[in-house]
Amino acid sequence: MKKILMASVAAVALTASFPAMALERGGSLTFARYDDSTLIDPIYADRNPDIWMVTNLYDTLLRTEADGKTITSGLASDYSVAADGTSVTLTLRDGIMFSDGSPIEAKDVVFSLERASNPDLSPWAGLLASIDSVSADGNTVTINLKNPDPTIVLMLATFNTAIVSADAFEAAAGETDQEKASALSIDGFVGSGPFTMKSHQRGAQMQFAANPHYWREGEDGKPLPYIDGINFLVIPDDATRILKLQAGEVDGAEFIPFARVAELDADPAINMELFPSTRIIYSPINTRAERADGSANPMADVRVRQALNYATNKEALVQLVLHGAGKPVSSGLMASTTQLATDNGPIYKYDLEKAKALLADAGLTDGTEVTLTTLAGSADDGIIFAALQQMWSDVGVKLKVEQVDGPTRGAKNRSGEFDVHTYGWVNDVNDPAQVAGWLGYHPTAKAVGTGWNDDEFNSLYEASNTEMDPAKRAEQYARMQEIYNEAAPLLFMYETPFAVALSSSVQGYVQTPLGNNEFASAWIDR
Amino acid sequence: MSPITYFFSRLLQIIPTFLIVMVIIFLLVRALPGDPAIAMADAKATAEQLEQIRQRLGLNEPLWVQFLYFVRNVFTGNLGDSILLKAPVIQVILERLPASGFLALYAVSFSLLIAGPLAFVAALNRNGWLDITVRAVFQIGLSTPVFYIGLLLLTFLAAQLRWFPVGGYGTTFWEHMYHLLLPALTVALYTSAIIMRNLRSSIIEVVDAEYVQFARAKGLPEHLVLGRHVLRNALISTVTLLGLSIGNLMSGTLVTETVFAVPGVGRLMLDAIFARDYPLIQGLTLMFTILVSMIFLLTDMIHAWLDPRMRVK
Repeated sequence: MKKILMASVAAVALTASFPAMALERGGSLTFARYDDSTLIDPIYADRNPDIWMVTNLYDTLLRTEADGKTITSGLASDYSVAADGTSVTLTLRDGIMFSDGSPIEAKDVVFSLERASNPDLSPWAGLLASIDSVSADGNTVTINLKNPDPTIVLMLATFNTAIVSADAFEAAAGETDQEKASALSIDGFVGSGPFTMKSHQRGAQMQFAANPHYWREGEDGKPLPYIDGINFLVIPDDATRILKLQAGEVDGAEFIPFARVAELDADPAINMELFPSTRIIYSPINTRAERADGSANPMADVRVRQALNYATNKEALVQLVLHGAGKPVSSGLMASTTQLATDNGPIYKYDLEKAKALLADAGLTDGTEVTLTTLAGSADDGIIFAALQQMWSDVGVKLKVEQVDGPTRGAKNRSGEFDVHTYGWVNDVNDPAQVAGWLGYHPTAKAVGTGWNDDEFNSLYEASNTEMDPAKRAEQYARMQEIYNEAAPLLFMYETPFAVALSSSVQGYVQTPLGNNEFASAWIDR
Repeated sequence: MSPITYFFSRLLQIIPTFLIVMVIIFLLVRALPGDPAIAMADAKATAEQLEQIRQRLGLNEPLWVQFLYFVRNVFTGNLGDSILLKAPVIQVILERLPASGFLALYAVSFSLLIAGPLAFVAALNRNGWLDITVRAVFQIGLSTPVFYIGLLLLTFLAAQLRWFPVGGYGTTFWEHMYHLLLPALTVALYTSAIIMRNLRSSIIEVVDAEYVQFARAKGLPEHLVLGRHVLRNALISTVTLLGLSIGNLMSGTLVTETVFAVPGVGRLMLDAIFARDYPLIQGLTLMFTILVSMIFLLTDMIHAWLDPRMRVK
């Protein structure tokens, strides 16, 4: 019962399915996760298991539809952006309450946004760098900007600007803001999202209960959520997580290995979901003139990078690693689900002749050695290396492997001590500025550590960050993607969905393209 | 030397061990490539943001200053906050230690229950068919990877027959007993094989000793010969082995903990290393050092009780 929920179809499919199946309220879900959350707070969430849970506990001023792109109202019923783009005015919804029954007021919004944009507190403050000041008047909140910011509206629909209670923070135990956030997550939790934190045994399980004061209405006209609560179990081993689902001990299991998707799909008791994601798998290529050891770097030549891309059969990688559940990237700079992504078809379609011609042109000698740095213990990386080694040997490139752990790979990326290494990315924000900044804009992180530095790309990126005309911004992004693909600072690989296996009785659960686990509209067909 | 002096002299020997471990672990974690800032913000942060994180975590201080902070913390009983879990290290370790301790003791009890009787049966039927069968079966247990046995047990006994839960730990004592039965059995299949082989050969050695023949000659009933003379002497090397196993189990049931989703310290250590969570790695290592030292001390005391010659040395 595979449902590849294409972004735009998701919303339609969900609403359309309700009249047919009688919506039921009540019951609780047990969900098996690959890793535990540590601190679920809008600004301190810095790992995916935290980030992807925030909006269950804290609501945002604006929201995105299930497609992850269309902006709709949230805690704010209305918003408007000033004509000159230097301020945003929001009107708070009437009668909204925190989970303790206290009203959500403009002062809470001011507190939350000031906290979120404070670089001393939030690792995400850079995404809100345009905010100059936030002021409140009755139930109207005005955000004054230092410069026009085309991303600000989307940022108000993103986890890090979710609304916390100013009073609860004031009252919480602890000296620093982070201590207060930790204290709140354990005792006397107060949130604004559809669920509240009930209990958390680190490394083992975490329980959410429905927030009785949540405002958003379900299909039946009553407030969400439909279920009474969620019990999350931490099951790090993939095989055990699946067994747990097959034994009926859990109602859902996330991060199903792609090798197991077909088998679970064939099980009538299991609903195998492949949610579209913004996740891309790619490999940065070192573009510096010299390698870290001082030797000449053949990949400094754009023709060599292009040749390696042509020599890589991406369709085959998708079959080998994802068992078909994915596709080669169609924009080199971002996943196709990201706003402003241009569809350039399969970029660098497998072509040995072109690869050989480019390498000959670049004067690369047969048997040139290139090292691929992979994650030790990663089955996917093992397959990628074996496949690339064979593919590249056809064009006379000898691929060697170096296996390291995550932080070592991160350190090598930063210092440029690599030839090519595996990497992945999921957007945290649905605006392309975050991913384009990371992958291409040199000042952010040397174009994902590759050292690639293109003046035209950099200035287009800077201009796009203050461009308020959507059409012009789209043009800038189209050009940036052209430049990027042409320069090939990456080995372009593939996009993968999020594979979640659910018991067939579970309806309405969504993992958004950003990875957020959305339980608000989930219900159990009993 | 009286048992009490012996105990304290052994206790004193632990102190230098402890200090050496502190220095080594402090330097070792910092010698690993990558640092907590990289691990935390791997694919997101700008160079500037990484510097901010390092500043906040005190990683920009000179190494000796960081070491002094660490020593001060250890001696004031405060191991700092875990970078990964954003909570005090001591609290995090104390939350996770019971599951590992429970599993280790459970597995060792299982091992003794399995290995003890079988070692006797095998030893007393040396080279008989019973001996050969027992040894062959244990050889399989010894040579099969732990995760594989674990997954087999989970697949058949838990997922298919539904006799046991698929992993987890539970909340009450009896739930722990129920949830941890399969993981304890998995670990025990391996440790009991080692203990069985050791105990079997010790028994074979002791059974032929002159004092055992003398005990028989003076007309002692067979159960007293076996219990008082054979077992007590045969156990001496097994106790040492047992001590080593418990020490290993407390810190090293990582695979079992992962496969069976047991929230123990083995898994915590792995997470801490991947996060380059210096305070947590240091705290866990110190805890393991203390724990293993205490187990060895206990082993030595039992050893001394079993073998009075030890106390004289």
